[in-house]
Amino acid sequence: MSAPLQDQGPPLLRVEGVRKYFALTKGILFTRTLGHIKAVDDVSFDIRAGETLGLVGESGCGKTTTSRMILNLEEPTEGRILLEGEAIHGLQGDALRAYRTKVQAVFQDPWSSLNPRMKVGLTIAESLIVNAWGDRAAIDERVRELLVQVGLRPEQAQQYPHEFSGGQRQRVALAAALASRPRLIVLDEPVSALDVSIRAQMMNLLKDIQAKDDVAYLLVAHDLATVRHMADHTVVMYLGKIVERAPTAALFDDVRHPYTKALFSAVLEAWPGQAAEEIELKGEVPSPLDPPSGCRFHTRCPYVMPHCSQREPALREVSPDHFVACHLFE
Amino acid sequence: MTPDAKGETVLEVRDLHTHFFLRRGVVKAVDGVSFSLRRGEVLGLVGESGCGKSLTALSLMRLLPKGGAQTIKGEVLLGGENILECTPAEMREIRGRRISMVLQDPQTSLNPVFAIGDQLREALLRRKRAPLTRAPHAEVMKEAVAALRRVEIAAPEQRISQYPHQMSGGMKQRVVGAIAISGEPGVLIADEPTTALDVTIQLQYLKLLKRLQAETGMAILFITHDFGVVGRMCDRVAVMYAGRIVECGPVRRIFEAPQHPYTRALIASVPKMTGPVGRLTTIEGQPPSLMDLPVGCRFASRCSLVEQRCLDAYPGTVRVGDEHTADCWKATPA
Repeated sequence: MSAPLQDQGPPLLRVEGVRKYFALTKGILFTRTLGHIKAVDDVSFDIRAGETLGLVGESGCGKTTTSRMILNLEEPTEGRILLEGEAIHGLQGDALRAYRTKVQAVFQDPWSSLNPRMKVGLTIAESLIVNAWGDRAAIDERVRELLVQVGLRPEQAQQYPHEFSGGQRQRVALAAALASRPRLIVLDEPVSALDVSIRAQMMNLLKDIQAKDDVAYLLVAHDLATVRHMADHTVVMYLGKIVERAPTAALFDDVRHPYTKALFSAVLEAWPGQAAEEIELKGEVPSPLDPPSGCRFHTRCPYVMPHCSQREPALREVSPDHFVACHLFE
Repeated sequence: MTPDAKGETVLEVRDLHTHFFLRRGVVKAVDGVSFSLRRGEVLGLVGESGCGKSLTALSLMRLLPKGGAQTIKGEVLLGGENILECTPAEMREIRGRRISMVLQDPQTSLNPVFAIGDQLREALLRRKRAPLTRAPHAEVMKEAVAALRRVEIAAPEQRISQYPHQMSGGMKQRVVGAIAISGEPGVLIADEPTTALDVTIQLQYLKLLKRLQAETGMAILFITHDFGVVGRMCDRVAVMYAGRIVECGPVRRIFEAPQHPYTRALIASVPKMTGPVGRLTTIEGQPPSLMDLPVGCRFASRCSLVEQRCLDAYPGTVRVGDEHTADCWKATPA
């Protein structure tokens, strides 16, 4: 297990040595376990109040599973997650409901969070009603306030989701997430389905809300430029493991892990003719059912050394607050 | 390859209009699009959702969606011949052999119940106009293996007997590419082929396309919303807004000196990997409804430089530089 981020004060959310294995079974009556998919394998990080943590990696790296565990939608196989010092798994009844008011989510496709047959005002109010937040007038007032906060008009509460554009629907989903005044919002690819010009609007809005409400974000994204503009800290994952973790500015100044380097060099910058070091990864991400031995990246790594396939590198601090899991830095 | 090394015009689109005729009214999705494509060139077609870029591509293939879409005006000259006048039977001969297409989601292009080899075989036999049943199986399969090898699929002998669900997204997209180029088309339309892929796989795929293009000399119309992909792939780029191309020019010129305010705003709103991290520039407002387009410039309602003449009439296409045009009243002619 790795050391938590060095900083003052307790974190808002702490993820401690979390693993999530999914059993792969065969048969219905006499089930046999064929193996385990190690979706998340010993992951630790902290999120502080009011800060944004970017979680990047390619499909299958475990970033979605990690965020689902934080949302208390999955139980970790091992390890624990603490919100304000309290373990979140095993919560039941009122305690679980209280947890859900503190941690909310906005997903990539706003359609998935909106009921097409429900006026958006009611969708936004739903969590307030469930938690008996106040009387009808107070809730109506809060819904109007939320719509204004996300840049919509109060009277749009009476409209249905199909009457909004994609960018506006994402604003409605954000308003619904903000309703219960959460301390943390999991943003799972919040802007990747939006058009370029709308994406910038949404990113500015998220930053404004954070500055005003002191809400923390866990930003799950694959677009590094988005993460650079949004996140204070960035965690890079590969096949269920953290390979690099650092303050965003430090990471973008000085990328260390070969996988992170490859990710960065795959970013296509609009300005042609840049002569950056280019690493084209051969092949594809191996199956998490049977991850490579030692360092999981060794099968695709351009700097692979003989012992990479034998020993797993630990996450170690290479410069203040900058952690890398690679044998090159030992 | 430098632009002068490129060959003759292989595709020319003139004043293309494709509209949807609905009960509620007419949606002018493609409304006066003109461009040309030369041998060995990659032309990027960029724009936001609903600007008409995909419908332009479908109009070129004559594969319009059902439900009232119709190309009502314009010419699509493929090697000098207007394919809008071809019969459906003639179009079937043209598709795949002279003009081909790769779509965003490889899952929709492949049939889940047939093995990859069978799907390749169909394309290969069609090219030779051989009847499907009477072809010597072993020989065609050898060709299918070669086609997979050409798109750099490892162990193609094993892969031809696999089904689409046994392959990753990147690999499926390679198979679709192999099918698309099996007829040696002169023009390939790629409609967001890498949007569904991870970034490292995207880079592999783009490099593959470039390599195949260098081998075959085909022209590529590359549709995307991602300026990064444009910078990497394209020689020239056409920017579409509300059914029209508002600016077209060499990639470097478009990035360094965009002339249309929409292009400028679009490029400015992309988050960058370098430079200061601050508030992003945004384009306020929404594009106009395609059912109720303004008489003047379509970007006028969102433009910061708007003047009275912008609202009164649509600006003509101004030549602002070498191979560089912009539809803007304020553009200075070269």
